[in-house]
Amino acid sequence: MSPAATLNHITHARYLRHDTGGGHHPEVPARLAVICQALGGQAELFNLITSEPQPAERQWLLKVHSENYLLRFEEAALSGHSFLGHHDNQLGYETYEIALLAAGGGLAGIDLVEAATLPPPLFCSVRPPGHHAEASLPLGFCFLNNVAVAARYWQKKYHRRRVAIIDFDAHHGNGIQAAFEEDSEVLYISLHEHPTFSFPGTGYADEIGIGPGRGATLNIPLLPGKGDAEVKAAFANQIEPALARFAPEAVLVAAGFDGHRLDDMSGLAYSSELYGWLGGQLTSLARRHCGGRLVSILEGGYHLESLGESVGQYCAGLVSMP
Amino acid sequence: MFIATFMTTPARTVSPDTLLSEARELMTTGKFRHLPVVDEERRLVGIITDRDLRSAMPTGMLTEAEKGAYLQRFAATTVRTIMTEAVANLTAEATLDDALLLFDRTRVGALPVVDGEHKVIGIISVRDLLTAYRQLFGLGVKGSTLIGVVDQGDPTVLTRLTGALEAGQIPFTRLIRTGELGGHGSVIYVRVHTHNLNGVHNILAGAGFKTVAPGIERSNDHA
Repeated sequence: MSPAATLNHITHARYLRHDTGGGHHPEVPARLAVICQALGGQAELFNLITSEPQPAERQWLLKVHSENYLLRFEEAALSGHSFLGHHDNQLGYETYEIALLAAGGGLAGIDLVEAATLPPPLFCSVRPPGHHAEASLPLGFCFLNNVAVAARYWQKKYHRRRVAIIDFDAHHGNGIQAAFEEDSEVLYISLHEHPTFSFPGTGYADEIGIGPGRGATLNIPLLPGKGDAEVKAAFANQIEPALARFAPEAVLVAAGFDGHRLDDMSGLAYSSELYGWLGGQLTSLARRHCGGRLVSILEGGYHLESLGESVGQYCAGLVSMP
Repeated sequence: MFIATFMTTPARTVSPDTLLSEARELMTTGKFRHLPVVDEERRLVGIITDRDLRSAMPTGMLTEAEKGAYLQRFAATTVRTIMTEAVANLTAEATLDDALLLFDRTRVGALPVVDGEHKVIGIISVRDLLTAYRQLFGLGVKGSTLIGVVDQGDPTVLTRLTGALEAGQIPFTRLIRTGELGGHGSVIYVRVHTHNLNGVHNILAGAGFKTVAPGIERSNDHA
């Protein structure tokens, strides 16, 4: 008997060709391979429908990034530079085009959600990741801010003005925060390891937005060693009330899986099961507030075994709500 | 490490004959809270602070008439009357550490900086000191992380640590060895500038180090 649920998986074969130089770089193509394998192995839970996105059009990138930066990034890739700005940000000849496809992942997800009467469960497995990238700054393996571009696309193309972004990557999404910190119509909520002990050193609880955006940024730093209980408490005490007050018309998720206890890119100690809980929780919150319009886009997650398992759990959570 | 790099220079100063109302105006418009008092040769003779001025202002206990008379007297009073004469100061050769110790001993908010003839050439505040240490420690630079490792106490521990990081091309700024602090074992803190923390942990584990953070001891036990 085949399962009733389907999961839309948006990914692209070319994502595997973003070359981070080998060596000890943790942001490797194998990350997507383990995810695809894990999702393919869940046949008893959902039918997997995989599709490939188009590259994001320049007009959407320019809502977040500067023209100058896009030119500099493209030139660096095409002229054979091995990194952009910092050794962390390794790139290859094809990286610019692949980054456009990564930014396009979220846009394809939004198109799918908007085309359906009942938004389907959906996950975008993209790389390079995006949430550290700022308007003119590559940082922490990120070049284009996939989630920030998606938020602007949702607002402009489908007139969903109030977009909430929930970022559960173990690291603070400084790029998403910077893109929207003066904007009252995008709520950015980030749960991450405390900035004193973690990259990139931003995301203190007192960073709550600037000017008209004051109150539309919610940072929840967790000390090293914290895990499932603290995340669930943060949802109940801070995230759910903040979403209710904000009343979003759409929800984007910056889905990073490096808070897993086996992933030593952070000192957080999440279980694989927590990601299943998050998938269910976010689905039910999106249904409660905005007709289930929910798009999740991959950020970090570097311990290959736990990454596959965690994304599998998360997606099972997304489809678990009847 | 010298305060000359971080002090405000030249400093705004007043003379002992400056009126309190003028001193208050200077502080309000300049947004500072300490004014060194100098003689005709710019030699340091005292200091006046916003707290001195606030204490000299009329209190809410007075009637309107009393307050008016008091304010008139306030406006006509000179700095000489309420300034602090024995004022702690530093020379430009002083280090930030000297400044920190002097701030700690004197509990003041700012220290005039003088030359060999006791002439005021600048001023350094606790705020300036915070900025200086923040810059020296590489704090607030986006993209950095503080890593703590157990200090194994052997004579070449720092060489091994920095050598391993440099060989792994991991940029770092702050390096602090705490020594025994309040019953806790010694920890070496290093601020690394990379997102490749997995790489950092592998390098540290490969060099025989154990990392620490509050609440957890990383095991580094996975490949």
